[in-house]
Formats: sequence, C-alpha cells, structure tokens
Amino acid sequence: MRSPASTMSYLELLKLALPEVIVVISALVVLAIGLTGRQRTAVAGVSSAKPPTKAAGTAAAATDWCSLAAALGVGIAIAAVLMLPRNASLFSGMLVITPLTSLFKIICLVLAFFTVCLARSEKSLRHPGEYLTIILLATVGLMLLVGSEELLMIFIGLELLGLSLYVMAAFDKTDVRSAEAGLKYFLFGSTSSAFTLFGISLIYGMSGSTGLAAISEKLVAAPAQPLLATGIIMTLIGFAFKIAAAPFHLWAPDAYQGAPIPSAAFIASGSKVASFVVLGKIVLVGFGPVHGSSAWHAMAAGWSPILAALAALSILIGNLVALAQTNVRRLLAYSAVAHAGYTLLGLVAGGRDGFSATLFYATVYAITLVGAFGVVAVVRSETGGDDVKNFSGLAARAPLLAGCMAIFMFSLAGIPPLAGFFGKFYLFSAALRAGGDHGLLWLVGLALFGSFVSLYYYLIVLKAIFVDQPSASAPPRDHVSSDLLQRRAVAALAGIVLLLGIMPDILAARILAAMS
Amino acid sequence: MQPVATTFFFYFLSAVTVISGIAVITRRNPVHSALALIVALLGQAGLYLMLYAPFVAGVQIILYAGGIMVLFLFVIMLVNIERAQKEEQFNKQWIVGIVAALALGVLFVLVYMKGKGLFPQTVAQLPEGENTQGIAMLLYRDYMFAFEIASLLLLVAIIGAVVMAKKRI
Amino acid sequence: MVPLSYYLVLSGILFACGVLGFLIKRNIITIFMSIELMLNGVNLSFVAFAAQWHALSGQVFVFFVMVVAAAESAVGLAIIIAVYRTRQTLNVDQINLLKL
Repeated sequence: MRSPASTMSYLELLKLALPEVIVVISALVVLAIGLTGRQRTAVAGVSSAKPPTKAAGTAAAATDWCSLAAALGVGIAIAAVLMLPRNASLFSGMLVITPLTSLFKIICLVLAFFTVCLARSEKSLRHPGEYLTIILLATVGLMLLVGSEELLMIFIGLELLGLSLYVMAAFDKTDVRSAEAGLKYFLFGSTSSAFTLFGISLIYGMSGSTGLAAISEKLVAAPAQPLLATGIIMTLIGFAFKIAAAPFHLWAPDAYQGAPIPSAAFIASGSKVASFVVLGKIVLVGFGPVHGSSAWHAMAAGWSPILAALAALSILIGNLVALAQTNVRRLLAYSAVAHAGYTLLGLVAGGRDGFSATLFYATVYAITLVGAFGVVAVVRSETGGDDVKNFSGLAARAPLLAGCMAIFMFSLAGIPPLAGFFGKFYLFSAALRAGGDHGLLWLVGLALFGSFVSLYYYLIVLKAIFVDQPSASAPPRDHVSSDLLQRRAVAALAGIVLLLGIMPDILAARILAAMS
Repeated sequence: MQPVATTFFFYFLSAVTVISGIAVITRRNPVHSALALIVALLGQAGLYLMLYAPFVAGVQIILYAGGIMVLFLFVIMLVNIERAQKEEQFNKQWIVGIVAALALGVLFVLVYMKGKGLFPQTVAQLPEGENTQGIAMLLYRDYMFAFEIASLLLLVAIIGAVVMAKKRI
Repeated sequence: MVPLSYYLVLSGILFACGVLGFLIKRNIITIFMSIELMLNGVNLSFVAFAAQWHALSGQVFVFFVMVVAAAESAVGLAIIIAVYRTRQTLNVDQINLLKL
C-alpha cells in the first residue's frame, strides 16, 4: 500500500533508537528498585521491634540505589549516542540522526545527569524511585524532541516532556506551593500545547504533510496566505510558552519558585535547550521560505518579526521585573525570561551562524542555571528559605559554594572571562552581521541595555553572599549539612562554565561543525 | 453510500456542538458543564461521520465521551461542588477575556472565509470500508515509532496520577 | 453539500469558545474542560483537512491527540485533587500563594 521503504524491521529501529531505549529501561529499573525499597521500609516500619532509624537507613539506601541506577543508565545512554551512525533517518523524519542531534542528545543527557545528582540530595522528596523515573522519561522526551523533524513526533515529544514536568513540579506534596506551581504550569502548558496543535493543524492543512522538509517545499510554492500566517503565529505562541518568552511567561516565576529544586532546574535547563533546538529546526527548516525581515529599515512579514517582537518584550519585561524581586528563585525566573529574549536573537538573525549562536547560548545558560539551582538547594536546606537574605554570609559559611555562585552570576550577567560572555558575544555579532546594513541594531542595542540592567540584580545576590553579615537566625557552622555529592556537582558545573569561558571553541566549533 | 440531507445534518450537529460548547463555559454547576461537554463531543462525533472518519468518530465516543468525561465526573464528585457553585463564576478580567476570545473567533472566521478558494466545494469521498484498515496500516507501520512513544506518555500519566492522587504522602 | 471551510469555521469557533472559558472562568475543573474544548476544535480541523487532502494521516494525528488528551486529563485531574486536598478550594483566584 505505502512505499516499501517505510516497512522496516524492529531491529533496525532498536539500533537507531538505542540511547532512548536504554534510558527507558533504566527508568523501569529505577521504578522497580524504588518499589522494592519502599516495601522493605514499610515492613521495617510496621514491625516496631526494629528501631525507626533502621527504616530511615533502608529508605536512604533505596534512594542511593535508585540514583546510582539512573546515573548509570544516563551514562550508558551517552556511550550509546557516541556509537550511533553519523547520519540516518527513519519513518520519514520521525527519528533523525545527524552529528547535531547526537551532540544535543549528549548535552540533554548530561543535564539529566546533574539533575539526578541534585535530586539525590533533595531530602523532601518522598518517592525517589518515581521521581527519578519521571526525570528519565522526561529525558527521553528531550532526546525525541532533539532528534525529530516531523511535527507529529515533535508534538508527542513535547507532551511527554510536558507531562513529566507537570508531575515533577507538583511532586512535593508536603509543600502547598509545589502543588500550586504544578497546577499553574499544567494549565498554561496544556493551553500552550493546544495552541501549538492548532497551528500544526493549519500548517498540515496548507501543506498536506507533517514532515518539516515537505512543509518547506510546499511553502516555497504557496503564496503568502492568511491561513498559513495564522498557523505559524499559533505554533510560535505555543513555543513562546515553552521557552518562557514574554508575554507568555506567567507560569515561569511560580514554577521556578514553587517546584522542588531539581524540577525547577530541569524545567529551566533541559526543557529550554530542547525547545530551542526544536524551535530553531521548525522556523529555519520548516518555515524557512517565509523568513521575513525584522531589520528596522526593511520590515517584511514572516516569522522573524514575530520572534523579534517576542525577544524585545522578553528582554524588557524580564530584566525590569527581576529588579524588584527579593526571592532568588523568582529572580532567576525573570532573568530566564530575559535570557530567552537574548537567545531568540540568534534565531531572528537566522542562518547557520545565528542558529549555532542560539544553541551555544542555550547550552551555556542551561549549565549555568543547573549550577545556580544547586547552590540554591544547599542554601535552602541549610537556612530553610531561598530569599536573598538567606544567602547573606554564605561566603563565610561555605567559600567554595560562594565562589561557584559568583561564577554562575557573572556568567549570567556576561562578564568577560566566563562562558556567558562568549555566548552573548556570538549572539550579538551574529545579529549584527545578519539583516544587512546593521538592520538588527535596534534589537542588539536593547539586549545590551538589558545586560547592563541585569548586572545590578546579579550583584545584589553577590553582595548578600560576600558582604552582608549573616542574620542571627543563621545556623551555627557545625549544623551545616555537608552533602558532598551536591557540592561536587555544583563545583563541576562551575568548572564547565569557566572552561567554556576560557576555551569556548570546544563547544562552539563543535556545534558549527555538526551543522555543516 | 450516498449521504442523506447533508446540509441539514451539518447545521443541526454544529448547532448542537456550539450551543453545548457555550453551555460548558456558562453553566454554574460543573456537573452540568461536564454533561454539556459530553453532548458537544457526541455532536462532534456526528460531524466526523459526515467527514467519512468513522474510526475517529467511534474513538471519540468510546475514549473521549466514555473515558475522559467519566474521569472528569469522578473528580467533580470527589471535590466539594456546593461551595464552587456559590462562588463567583467569572473572574475580574472577564471583559478582557471576552474581547480577546471574540477577536480570535472573528480572526478565524475571516481567515477561513478568505481562504475559501483553497478548498474544494465538496467534501472528499473516501470509501468507508477502508478507513479503519488504512488507519491501522498507518498506525502500525508509518507511525509505529510515534505509537511506541505514546505508550511512554501513558506510563508517565499512570505514575504521575498515582503519585499525585495518593492520599498518604 | 457543505463546503469544507464551514467545518473549519466551526472548528475555529469551538477553539475560541475554549479560549474564552480559559480566560474568564474561575473554577479549575471548568477551565480544564475549556482546554478539552480547544483540543476538540483542533481535532475537527485535522479531520476536515484530512478529508481535503484525501489522506488518512490527519485522522491518525487526531488519534494521537486523543491519547495525549487522555494522559493529560489523568495527570491534570490528579494535580487538581492534590491542590484541593491542601487548599479546600477550586477557585483559581484563591490559589494565589504565588502571586503573578
């Protein structure tokens, strides 16, 4: 009935989807370990002959085993990605393997690894097995998103990711704010996916296909249609929700502040990187022929002016509202809105340069944010809160963490020797070169202004850490719980940020090479 | 098979769907809203039949009207609806909401009216005997990978629903 | 016979109904039903386009949308129950521990 090329053996699919399969298997293993661990603790808890500390000990052991299995699964999956063939495509674009997708699958897996490290130290999570399983399944969603050039598959990947993140955000049932964060994230997220879906249906209606390459071919032939414009706008609105670009960012502050810290870190990092990869693929590959122009002297209809407007709004709103925040997690959320704006600059510029700059910046940003959330997690477990005043005197209590936080904040602000600076540099120079005759100068100027404003609120956090005296309620030094793994993970992330700042080429050149 | 009185049935079913759709958002009692949504779903299933999509129509009734809406009714019964009925129904920015939604609706209508020439005047006619078979072919062959991933989606939903709805923390 | 664009107009109206409900209602469950209404508008437009292109792929898409809607409502309703247990209300305006 159909073309014979579409019939293929399960074995070949298994071979090309091996990293995803490994992650799924390890998710199931983690789930099983979590279940057996809980049964044992339940038995130990019921038979009162045993002391309760024993039960707690078994629970902790189960957590350790779960984390170990999850980390192992992620590690093997990275190895499996490295062994994939260079180029392959299955099911007319549903599973595409190129050097670029392999690179970003590895980046997503690394982010998942650090999230697992953070989750291991999070004491408030009651069901570690289920939590880690959902992290791993969300990672599968990320990998599918990165490795697909077909709208149906992208939609399913987005939903797999989204559903996992809603559950992760609401996971801590002892905290009222967690459930509410999950609810808000869920309501906005499912509405945004309805918008994306409506856009996809219009695009399907115009092109008769859901493969990005086929859509692009149809768009070259088709004239500008109001129907098509509506479809593109609706799809972009859906993605603007996902990357938390203003004015579709309303869920972000709540989700970042209310969700358990590993969930917030994963929402801010992995989900964002994968969303930018997919958004870039959709606009540059799928909608390529209707690029339009957002240069100030030659505005032309297309998707690029829409993204430019989103970027400008995000930079303005994100930075200005962040100035008024007193809670570090909310501050990070509004700065995330601003950073989504900067990152969009590369897509507005378009082309290989712009896309690679966007990907580099999104990756650096994700690594930085996971680290920053790691520091927030330590401070929260020590002082019981994550307001700016909880950070006061951190430099005296934990000099290593304070130094790491300084690296993360300076990188976010874009101070020269750090990775964030080179990310911004690539983005701005790509934007200046594109759009002919410095047409995007207005946007770059706005972004520079935003960066200067942002320096202020990052410095407020650092001032609390290094200058302010700890408040009287701060715990004595011996009370500080030294979770070694968490500290090591944070230090490793700070090291990566520093390394990418000194030698940005190890990642930037690789992204560029992968694209050609 | 030659369709009977298509025009009449189209207007009848779309009137049913739109009126019950509006009832969903205007009723005070959530149970009434859910019942109205079921009527809207059934009307839509009729429209699917008119578009020669019998399989989708069947799944719509079994899965949507039969499965998802029962879940909704269960949850409505679990929570305290008397209190919800006494509370204010619409939030403060209802004027903004109505204007935005109306603008969106008018935009759609205009866009479709403008794009009318794109679409053929009559509905395409597929022989309905092949419909389910064709969907099965697509689902288990061309869309096999997506089908497998859908199972992961359901796994996440199971785990998530159990963890979230469990009474004991 | 009814032109295809009439079906599309109907799908647009259903979607707009859903958006309206999402924007103005206070009860979370009704807001959630509005989202289902939006998804149904999408499904109708997919089936209509599938008929236009004489292709079944649009109908398969609808099938997947329904799977997603089922999974989404299971998770969403579970989260709603969790919120209700902690706050004893389903009014979004009262769920404002985290301000906008």
